[in-house]
Amino acid sequence: MSYELTIEPLGQTIEIEEGQTILDAALRAGIYLPHACCHGLCATCKVQVTDGEVEHGEASSFALMDFERDEGKCLACCARAESDLVIEAEIDEDPDAENLPVRDFDGTVSRIESLTPTIKGVWIKLDKPEGMRFQAGQYVNLALPGGIGSRAFSIASAPSVAGEIELNIRIVPGGEGTTYVHEKLRAGDRIRIAGPYGRFFVKKSANVPVVFMAGGSGLSSPRSMILDLLEGGFEQPITLVYGQRNRDELYYHDAFLALAETHPNFRYVPALSHEPERSGWQAFRGFVHEAAKAAFDNDFRGNKAYLCGPPLMIEACIATLMQGRLFERDIYTEKFISAADAQQVRSPLFKAI
Amino acid sequence: MDMKATKKKLGMKERYRALTRDLGWESSYQDKDAIFPYVNYEGIKVHDWDKWEDPFRLTMDAYWKYQAEKERKFYAIIDAHAQNNGHLNITDARYLSALKIFLQAISPGEYAAHKGFARAGREFPGVGTQVACQMQAIDELRHAQTQIHAMSNYNRYYDGFHAFADARDRIWYTSVARSFFDDAMSAGPFEFMIAIGFSFEYVLTNLLFVPFMSGAAYNGDMATVTFGFSAQSDEARHMTLGLECIKFMLEQDPDNLPIVQAWIDKWFWRGFRVLGLVSTMMDYMLPKRVMSWREAWEIYGVENGGALFKDLARYGIRPPKGWDDAEKAIDHMSHQFMLGLYQWSFGTSFHSWIPSDEDMDWLSAKYPDTFDKYYRPRWAHIKKLKAAGTPFKNYGLARLCQCCQLPSVFTEPDDPTLTCHRETVYKGEKYQFCSDGCKDIFDNEPEKYIQSWLPMPALFSELGGDVGAWMNWVSLRDGDDNGDYDGSTDQKHFNEWRGLATSNL
Repeated sequence: MSYELTIEPLGQTIEIEEGQTILDAALRAGIYLPHACCHGLCATCKVQVTDGEVEHGEASSFALMDFERDEGKCLACCARAESDLVIEAEIDEDPDAENLPVRDFDGTVSRIESLTPTIKGVWIKLDKPEGMRFQAGQYVNLALPGGIGSRAFSIASAPSVAGEIELNIRIVPGGEGTTYVHEKLRAGDRIRIAGPYGRFFVKKSANVPVVFMAGGSGLSSPRSMILDLLEGGFEQPITLVYGQRNRDELYYHDAFLALAETHPNFRYVPALSHEPERSGWQAFRGFVHEAAKAAFDNDFRGNKAYLCGPPLMIEACIATLMQGRLFERDIYTEKFISAADAQQVRSPLFKAI
Repeated sequence: MDMKATKKKLGMKERYRALTRDLGWESSYQDKDAIFPYVNYEGIKVHDWDKWEDPFRLTMDAYWKYQAEKERKFYAIIDAHAQNNGHLNITDARYLSALKIFLQAISPGEYAAHKGFARAGREFPGVGTQVACQMQAIDELRHAQTQIHAMSNYNRYYDGFHAFADARDRIWYTSVARSFFDDAMSAGPFEFMIAIGFSFEYVLTNLLFVPFMSGAAYNGDMATVTFGFSAQSDEARHMTLGLECIKFMLEQDPDNLPIVQAWIDKWFWRGFRVLGLVSTMMDYMLPKRVMSWREAWEIYGVENGGALFKDLARYGIRPPKGWDDAEKAIDHMSHQFMLGLYQWSFGTSFHSWIPSDEDMDWLSAKYPDTFDKYYRPRWAHIKKLKAAGTPFKNYGLARLCQCCQLPSVFTEPDDPTLTCHRETVYKGEKYQFCSDGCKDIFDNEPEKYIQSWLPMPALFSELGGDVGAWMNWVSLRDGDDNGDYDGSTDQKHFNEWRGLATSNL
């Protein structure tokens, strides 16, 4: 048994299981609600229930007063749904969020290409001619057969090509889902995706220069975002700092060089961390954060930064950006908060990064 | 489907803005520097006060409503506690020593924090900062009052509670906490926020509250537990204010980093020294123990503090300078303190005692590397002296650290058999310290700490060294309030009254 939980002012609706707390449901869906003690004492997670019934659980009578219960307040860390719910939380409204509804889409694999020795490009032609509306940077869940279940992948193509979705999928050693895609999936196979998911998209309304930092298979969202910005005539400077281990893994390198040729506001900074010494590589050698620091001369002020890649790269980039004077309010990462993350001991110093 | 025609409601954040920041104004006929004279001299550079985030969007009208209901609930339980002879429901009257130390040393700190936040709220130019500090100032006042009220019921029955205000001003061990808060209050507004808002309220508060509030719960003291719940609902706001302040400083200008780092180093060490007394409460004074000091440190120091400093490293902040020395002290400090309190118990307005055999077995289980090796033999010796009718009393006066004001009872970080002692000569005068951490703090601001009022020198300068006169002056009643718990009036009364309450004799 599960209910629907709508979180205002985002207007986003997610699923909440019976017995699951509002906080847990929100965090698992990637929506950050302010919280601290997680057991009903500190009241950091207080939210307003505007519709529906909750069970208050172990909320302390000092942290959640009787009059507040009467007014429909609850503590998200303890409250459980007893019906469909609408809550209002202290989340900043995002003028760039389109809040597109999540739907299932059926389609056919139209093309599979090896982009690198470890990454395959998969193109899915959707049955509906109008395709799927999404914001550049969002992801889909790809339903895989044989009891594998679904896997999340960021969309690598631009929203303007809504009828055919491109995914770039790196093989994870021992990973059931990615192994299936690499070894079994064939052009012509029928496939279903659900989406669009996620709140990782460009804050176009801020209208400031943007820097993308991508590594590993984290290129998908930045690529979609950059294509979208350039197509839309975005006039602010755009920088892509893009890192791989070696030249073989640096997919779409030539395409980005070409984009930089034709778009004066687009700057492309590739970086290779493990390229053999005597290869012909003339550009930056080192990690993404090092390349970014050099490219910006350690001063990121006035930008907005979008990070995508493995956790160690993200962490190194955040520290580099912050020491180059760019802070949490201007840093965005594609964040999947797993149950394990929600349990992890983290300080409340940062909320979103 | 019908179109919704209603005008969109203001979000909580917008409502908050309208009721706080929009009430601020730019001064026109007074110079801003004249209105906020203290905000620049610490060297903290601020370019945009509007970047100060208010994580708690609480307006004053809502604040009053919350606090009023908290008070109603709190006093209902305090009344019930008094009417039901709550003072007989505690595990044992030894527990009261922990309460007495708290009331004499920590509750006045809440009041000091109240004064400090009231001042900080006036001295910061940002409206968000002003509102947050104002609320915290009132919270702290409420905490001081409710703590005093929660404990006042015990004053009717037991010794050592009657003169906490005199004890706060005059007795030697309370000067440890007092000097901590005085140091913070006489600093600039930003340093005050690091000292109290960040170091005390965030980094160290759990080490204080857990033993104290859980200790109260474990030992049947419902009045204090209720205070704890009532206060904890404010603490989240306080911690967030401290964290926000540190982020704000670090993000406003790169020149702020070394200043903030130095404050973190200083206030971590000062806080660690103040909380030393808590280690003794946890390991020795609670008849029913919650966890050992070592265990509390692992959770709240190593794990939570570690997570915080990992996040702060993104700004270029490193863990506090004294962190490693603190870690080395954890397995020793509660024993060193309790031995100190016991030998000077003629001068404490609470009781101490020799741990029982059972207590010592618990201590050796919790401190397998240190207790049996270094501390059990000393307690065994002290026990032998007591059995022989010659209890160990140290009537010599302790050498106090010029910075933290604790007696120098600690050992070298790397040699638990050697007392740690540092000294500095400044303007021809010699000053003593308990540790490198305290000496560094002095050396950085000697003009501040040479003004310290230290209780041991004061005994001579103000009372000619007359211990009896000193006892009168600090309102300590010799034979009642002080000395060994074994044989004390508290022990006698508690056992008698509990006997009356639980049997027909």
